[in-house]
Amino acid sequence: MVTLTIDGRVAKVPAGATVLDAARAIGVRIPTLCQHEALEPWGGCRLCLVDVTKKEWRGWQKMVVSCMFPAEDGLAVATATERVVATRKVVLDLLLARCPDTPLVQRLAHEHGIERTSYQPNPEPTDCVLCGLCTRVCDSIGVSAIATVDRGAGKEVAPPFHQPPPDCIGCLACAEVCPTDCIPYQTSDSARSIWGKTFTMVRCPHCGRAHITREQAAFYAGRGGVPESYFETCDACKRTQMAKTFTSLSAVR
Amino acid sequence: MNGRTCVDTAPLDEILTRYPASEAALIQVLQDVHRAYHYLPCDVLVKVAEALEVPLAKVFSVGTFYKAFSLVPQGRTIVRVCTGTACHIRGADRLIEEFERELKIKPGETTADMGFTVKTVNCVGACAMAPVVIVGETYHGGAEPAKVAKYIAEKEADHEN
Amino acid sequence: MRIESAAAYDELRRRAREEAAAHRQEILVCCGTGCLANGSMRVAEAFSKELQARGLTAEVGTFTKRTGCHGFCQRGPLVVIQPAGVLYTQVKPKDVPEICEKTVAGGTVIPRLLYKNPADKKRVEHYAEVPFYANQTRVAMRNIGKIDPTDITDAVAHDAWAGLVKAMLEMTPEQVIGEIERSGLRGRGGAGFVTARKWRACRNAEGERKFVVCNGDEGDPGAFKDRSIMEGDPHSVLEGIVIGAWAVGAHEGYIYVRDEYPLAVVNLTVAIEQARARGFLGKNILGTGFDFDVTISRGGGAFVCGESSALMRSLEGKVGEPRQKYVHATDKGLFDRPTVLNNVETWADVGAILLHGADWFAGMGTEKSKGAKAFSLVGKVKNTGLIELPMGMTLRDIVYGIGGGIIDDRPFKAVQTGGPSGGCVPEALLDLPVDYERLTEAGSMMGSGGMIVMDDRTCMVDVARYFLSFLIEESCGKCVPCREGLKQMLVIYDDLVAGRGKPGDIERIETLAAGMQLGSLCELGKSAPNPVLSTLRYFRSEYEAHIFARACPAGMCRDLTAYEIVPELCNGCHLCFKACPADAITGETKKVHTIHQEKCISCGACYDVCPTAGAVRFFPKNGAREREAV
Repeated sequence: MVTLTIDGRVAKVPAGATVLDAARAIGVRIPTLCQHEALEPWGGCRLCLVDVTKKEWRGWQKMVVSCMFPAEDGLAVATATERVVATRKVVLDLLLARCPDTPLVQRLAHEHGIERTSYQPNPEPTDCVLCGLCTRVCDSIGVSAIATVDRGAGKEVAPPFHQPPPDCIGCLACAEVCPTDCIPYQTSDSARSIWGKTFTMVRCPHCGRAHITREQAAFYAGRGGVPESYFETCDACKRTQMAKTFTSLSAVR
Repeated sequence: MNGRTCVDTAPLDEILTRYPASEAALIQVLQDVHRAYHYLPCDVLVKVAEALEVPLAKVFSVGTFYKAFSLVPQGRTIVRVCTGTACHIRGADRLIEEFERELKIKPGETTADMGFTVKTVNCVGACAMAPVVIVGETYHGGAEPAKVAKYIAEKEADHEN
Repeated sequence: MRIESAAAYDELRRRAREEAAAHRQEILVCCGTGCLANGSMRVAEAFSKELQARGLTAEVGTFTKRTGCHGFCQRGPLVVIQPAGVLYTQVKPKDVPEICEKTVAGGTVIPRLLYKNPADKKRVEHYAEVPFYANQTRVAMRNIGKIDPTDITDAVAHDAWAGLVKAMLEMTPEQVIGEIERSGLRGRGGAGFVTARKWRACRNAEGERKFVVCNGDEGDPGAFKDRSIMEGDPHSVLEGIVIGAWAVGAHEGYIYVRDEYPLAVVNLTVAIEQARARGFLGKNILGTGFDFDVTISRGGGAFVCGESSALMRSLEGKVGEPRQKYVHATDKGLFDRPTVLNNVETWADVGAILLHGADWFAGMGTEKSKGAKAFSLVGKVKNTGLIELPMGMTLRDIVYGIGGGIIDDRPFKAVQTGGPSGGCVPEALLDLPVDYERLTEAGSMMGSGGMIVMDDRTCMVDVARYFLSFLIEESCGKCVPCREGLKQMLVIYDDLVAGRGKPGDIERIETLAAGMQLGSLCELGKSAPNPVLSTLRYFRSEYEAHIFARACPAGMCRDLTAYEIVPELCNGCHLCFKACPADAITGETKKVHTIHQEKCISCGACYDVCPTAGAVRFFPKNGAREREAV
């Protein structure tokens, strides 16, 4: 365990935790956009900036992103120094210019006293904050159907050649992880479509509910060495079956 | 997308023999592909992805991130107008305007006859001779807007030969 | 023959020197990129042919030596005839027979080909007396211009690889790191990190597989020292890399070369093959059992890849996005293995330090910045080219001493150093000694050694805007402050140069700059506001002129500037007529010319070509835009 202070309060967290983990453990709120507990931290949105110092640094402070900076013994973290607040405001002001109509960005900006951007609003408003969560979750699943395209001001998230992505399995993880819900998709019992690609749904042989795409089942089966049929049964029916098994086992006993 | 190709893949097959099938070779392979085809044809990128076992989205991402690559066919001669700092303060913008006027295309575009593509480059490292224009392989140091027509004409003569 | 002992190396060098001494004269033709562009290859070929025809080959060897960049690119093609030390500038193939006859065979100089010092209009006979060269001290560039970069024997005759022999056969890795530490060598790529500290951290890092990387992705516009070093003396770079690899215990290395530098790739490739054959590289180096080899990787064209973490991602075949570095590359760098990454020039310094000793290197420079540093001196200065000087030389000595002053003797305005991460140093600071600390204090930085001299015809608002437009194309786009901040900063500057500036813009620039400096992920974004802040710091009045008077004092912002010809001063030379790209000038030879405002695009070509002072003048445009804004 390591012990540090955050805004004067003591936090104890396991070694390897980040400053953000420590802050959350004691209920100190630090805004984030590109952070997700299921994914490696990335440090792109810059909202979680904090000032850190140590006694031996003799007054010198360093501004770091709390989602990546490791919690260390004796670290003193300040989440709302003047320069942290000022920098965070610039970041939010810039994001609001990029995404003037996006509720989440509006709310975060409002919380920091910004109602209207002081910069030139994006002539083509977008809801994408380029937090990279969608591409990172797609990578972590092992699919990598989408990625960032171009660089700098022109950067965007897109499938290869802006065409329906051949590698996409239609799992919707990208859409679900998106903090601004800006990846559109449709799903029904018969079909699902996302990124311009349409998928056939697999129905659960027990309840008939369409819960997974054919490509998803095949991909998972290929990765796990488990037969595809295992993934065809929906999670609810798997639980029911398991419950039945246990019930019959206890009846035997 | 389904393996159907409309470009000759022989140069690619040869390129792929030079590198191990790993992601680390991706940029080097794309460099060679670009030299062989003068751009990155999408069919070739699909094959590169398969051969190096890199997801196609990553190949496309890398192909669009780096400035050395173009996804559209380039002209037979690439005109590179250096816009490094030394060239900038010695009037590179006037050279760009002159090429625009002469070839009737903007930087990044290609003439209709596929003869020339005009590009700006952020410094070619020949700052002592600023401003610099490179037409094909020929460096023109101390380039002058009034000579732009001549630079083009010289190259056009080459095209005809 | 593979070299496996100090005696074998000495023997190789002795024979190489003997071979060189057999030629009573040497004709060194500069074949750096600058001179090549001016046709030096044809000059070299003409020499080979002419010497043969005149039966002079025994005198000077079969071949004329094609060397790397001599530095004085402005006057190229350059030819030096040794041992007389005669320097001929702007040599054309048709001059070659005369040179062979009079200088090589006859031993006399040809005055018209000599360099004329603009200061006293006198011709200078000897290479070493030309002010451009006389005030230099060469370490990293020690052999450039002297050796044929494609011939390892010639390089060895000039002590190439002697530092490696000494390090590996006479010292321990710890002693090598200690020597580098005592020399005070700091990173030549710009940030000035202490080299030995990196090496030691990597040596002590856990793990068997380690890497050394050479950063040859010289991306700063206006800088080309790394290009010239890789092209002109690839052995110095390779030697440093091998020494470093041995000191830290790495067996694999990469040289990341900018795609725009094809000749550097060719010369490095040749040098690598020759070094392997001599046993300086590859398996069992110098017979010690130590294996190390190096691969050249061509960059994809991205300025951000000069940033070390982005460069390593690029070497891995990925998009060049930097990573937050709370763990050092020396612990977790390329492929997450301990990695030492140094700049081309840093590596090139290493061999010389080992050979001549730490004290020799530390004897040059200032308290905290030791040794010599390469710069490309370019822009509105008379003598442009590549130079290397001891740290601590003043800007005045560089600009006026080596550079010979400003073109056309116009007023000096600023020197830009450090590329897009640096800043503009004004006239008041001309006596600033150039080292890492002083440049940083002045709001600029060392950067990769670009030194761009600016005169009164350079608009500082436009310069800041230029760097923003450069960076907006080069930002990787990963983090918000850099990606969105540059976009918005450029919006403000586009307004400023177009006469749409508003009161409060300067304050908005400052707030945004502070946010980018503190908030950005990597050094590209953190330092992106430097050109903005340094021009604001020293040239605030130019900003105010753009905003409040809608005027560009330098007359460079076209939307704010108009040109006219003063009839009383025009002598009808017709030059402006020929230079005007917009056909906006009328007039016949020997008669007064006129600029027609409705056609004029305010490019200033007429002003620049006019030989009569004051005959073309510029003034603020008082167009509709100004009234509209009011």
